[in-house]
Amino acid sequence: MNGKRLPLVLLLLLHSAANADVAVIVNPRNPLDAMTSKQVQDVFMGRTRSFANDRVALPIDQSSPLRAEFYRRLTGRSLEQINAYWARILFTGQASPPLQVPDDAAMLKTIRDNEGAIGYIDKAHLDGSVRVLLILP
Amino acid sequence: MKDTVKLLVALLPGLLPLSAHSEPQLSVKGFGTAVLVGSDTDRIGFRRDTSQDIGARRNGSFEPDSRFGVQLDANFSDDWHAGIQWVARSHPGDFVEQNLDWAYLRWRPQPDLNVRVGRLGFDVFLLSEYRNVGYAYPWIRPPHEFYGGLPAYHFDGADVTRKLVVGDGFVTLKAFGGFSYYQVPATLSQIFDAASLVAGGSLVYELGDWRLRVGYTHTETLREAPLQALTSALNDPAVRLLWPGAAQVGNRFSVRGKVVQYSFIGMGYDDGTWLAQMEAAYIDSNFTFYPSGANGYLSLGRRVGPVTLYTLLGIAETFKDRIPVSQPLLPIPALVGFRDTVDAILNGNGVDQKSISLGVRWDVHENIALKAQWSHYWLGENGTQLWQEPFSGPTPREVNLWSLGVDFLF
Repeated sequence: MNGKRLPLVLLLLLHSAANADVAVIVNPRNPLDAMTSKQVQDVFMGRTRSFANDRVALPIDQSSPLRAEFYRRLTGRSLEQINAYWARILFTGQASPPLQVPDDAAMLKTIRDNEGAIGYIDKAHLDGSVRVLLILP
Repeated sequence: MKDTVKLLVALLPGLLPLSAHSEPQLSVKGFGTAVLVGSDTDRIGFRRDTSQDIGARRNGSFEPDSRFGVQLDANFSDDWHAGIQWVARSHPGDFVEQNLDWAYLRWRPQPDLNVRVGRLGFDVFLLSEYRNVGYAYPWIRPPHEFYGGLPAYHFDGADVTRKLVVGDGFVTLKAFGGFSYYQVPATLSQIFDAASLVAGGSLVYELGDWRLRVGYTHTETLREAPLQALTSALNDPAVRLLWPGAAQVGNRFSVRGKVVQYSFIGMGYDDGTWLAQMEAAYIDSNFTFYPSGANGYLSLGRRVGPVTLYTLLGIAETFKDRIPVSQPLLPIPALVGFRDTVDAILNGNGVDQKSISLGVRWDVHENIALKAQWSHYWLGENGTQLWQEPFSGPTPREVNLWSLGVDFLF
C-alpha cells in the first residue's frame, strides 16, 4: 500500500510546483502598489537597479525548483538561457546575478529584513508579512 | 601589465576602509570549454585566433579551443567591487600574465554609472570581452572571420559606463582608454611583445528581444616588431649593391606609431525560441602586417526544447595591394631566399575567407552544454592569415572543419 502511495505523493508535489502561481513580493515599507511584468524582468535581469520610484532595488533569487518556474513565467526562457545571459554579464565584470536563498521561508525572512528587497515565492506560502506586487499565473 | 596588477593589489587594502560592510562578500565562479577540432587537410592548421601558433589538422586537437577560467569577485559595499579573472588557454605568450584577463576595481557612484580601473577585457566587438565563455553563446567558438584576427584580449586602463532609460528600452554608453600589452607569434623570431595605446567607445540599445551595438576603437602601436636582423640586412651596402630593390622595401617594416581603427555595428535578436545575430566591421589600418579590411557574419538559430540548431555565415576580406618586391640582379640562392622571405612577410598577411557552418547546442543539464559544429571554409590565395600557414607551398582553397565540445559553468 505504502509502496503505491509514495509515487502518488511525489506526483502531486511535482504537479503543485508546476502549477502554483508565483507571487512577486517586496517589503511592506516599499510604497509601490504594483509592478508590471516588464518592470520585474528589468530588475531581475540586471537592466535596472532601481524601482519606478527611484529607490534602489535588491533582487533576491531562489536556488529551489521555483526558480525555473519563475523565469519561465516571467521571461518565457529556460534556466539555461537565463544562466547563459548572466554568464555574459558576470564574466565581463558588469554585474553579478541576484543573490540566492534556498526556499520560500528564507525568501520571506529576507524580504521582511530588507526594505529594498524584491523576491518571489509560491503564492500558497504568502503570510501577510510582505507586500505582493505581481502574480505570475 | 604586471605593474598595473601590482598597483591594484597594493591599492586594494587602502580602499577597504571606504566600504560600508566590515567583511567583503567573496565569490568564486568559473567556466570551461573542452573542444576537439579537426579538419580534412594537413596542409594548413586551424587556429582559433592569431594569438596562437598551434593548428588543428586531420588528427584533431584539443588545443585551439579548450580553456578554463576562474573569477574571484569581492563586493566591499554597494559602491565598491573588485574582480579578477584568469583563463588558461593555449598560446605562446606568458602563461600567467597574458592569461590574466581581468583585474579591476569597480566604483558605482550612482546606480546607473560604473567606473572601472585596472586590467579590463578588450571591448571592441560584441563578443570580444567574453570570447572565452563558450556557455554564453550558441556556437562552438566566436565566428572565425570576425574574431580570428583579434589577438588582444585585454588592456590596462579605465572605462566608464552610463545606462539610460530611453522609451521602453535601455541605452548603455561606454568610453574606455588605456594600454594593451599582448604577445603574438612572429615570423622569423620568437614572439612579438606588442604594445598599443587603445581608446574607444560604444553605444548599446536594448529593447525587448533586440540588442543593437555600434562602436569605434582606435589603437596605435607603441613598439617595433622584432625584425631588426631583417632590416639591418636590407640596409647592408653589399645587399643593396646586388639587390637595389632592398632600398624600396626597407622602410616597410616599421610598425611604431601605426594606427588601426575599428568601426563596428552589431545586432542581436533572441525571443527565447528564435535567435539571430549579425556583426559587421570595417578595419582601417596603415600597419603593413595588419592590412585594412572588412568582415561580417550572420547567424540564425532555433531552439527546440534543450536543443539549439544554428547556421552561421562568415566573410572576411583584407583590402591590400601587393607590395612589389623586385628580384636581385644576380640569382645568388641565398639572396633569392632572402628576397622571398621579405616578400612573404610583406605580402603574406592577407585574409580572404568565407565560411558556412551548421551546428547544434544541446543543454544536457543546467550549466552544461554539448556542442557539435561542421564548417566549410573557402580560402583565397594569400588569404589564410587567420590559419597556421605552411612555410612554403600552396594553401588549400577549401577546408572542412569539424568540432565537438562541451561548455560548462561553475
